Amino acid sequence: MSNTPPAAGETGDRTGRYVRHPNGHVAPMSPFTDIWRWHMTMVASILFRVTIGAASVGAVLLLGWVAIVACGPDAFASLAAFSGSPFGLFIWFGLTWVLFSFLLNGARHLINDAGKGLDLKSANLMAQIAVWGPIVLAVLFWVVLFATGKVSL
Amino acid sequence: MSAAPKFKNNVKISERHGAGEWKLEKLALLALMPLGLWALSTGFTLAGADYGAVVAWFGSTLNAGLLAVTAVVFCLFASLAWKVILEDYVPGPSRSALILVSNLVFLVLAAASVFFIVRLALGSAPLPAGV
Repeated sequence: MSNTPPAAGETGDRTGRYVRHPNGHVAPMSPFTDIWRWHMTMVASILFRVTIGAASVGAVLLLGWVAIVACGPDAFASLAAFSGSPFGLFIWFGLTWVLFSFLLNGARHLINDAGKGLDLKSANLMAQIAVWGPIVLAVLFWVVLFATGKVSL
Repeated sequence: MSAAPKFKNNVKISERHGAGEWKLEKLALLALMPLGLWALSTGFTLAGADYGAVVAWFGSTLNAGLLAVTAVVFCLFASLAWKVILEDYVPGPSRSALILVSNLVFLVLAAASVFFIVRLALGSAPLPAGV
């Protein structure tokens, strides 16, 4: 670790704000989540990390689904019975929520990473959409699935 | 690092490979946007489908190909994203070990996904084959 803060006035330090952590590391100062008022942008940012974690679990579940399809009709019949059970539908609903969250929050992240939409109004609006949009869209998705008779309890 | 640091918009430009990883992560996420929409439509198509319909879906080269690409790109993105998360929250020497484990998990996940998808696309006999 050679990230010692450069002396004042030296090139390299353009922020001027460094903190020494308890373990001795010197790092640029970052916001303290326990004393900062919670912003929607913080919620969206953290939820994207949660979404990536959930999507990783979802990817393992979907791999299991593909593997069971590859095991033939009998294995698939047991899987379909579980998928159609209330707990199975609950898991599938969760996966659609995660997918919508991945798309909306990922799009927000990409737009902000491109340096766009970083003013307060746009950043807050995109964060609101990224947090609440997935719930609304996932419920709508399942309403349509039930309404068209593709899925039933 | 004897070269003078370079700046863009007053932000220091990465001296080594950090920017490349960041760009790769963003490109993977960008690619996952249309693939994710396609995955949604696929979920809608296959919801409640029986075995025959699912196997027929995998029989299409386009479907199997897109699914394999989605699996591989997702694993690439997820391994880079987990690396960032681990770098943020895990201090000390266990960090690099955990990053290695996470990379291995996603490598196995990608390989296994492609294995099963290719078998289904080729119409191979149900597993476990030869039993």
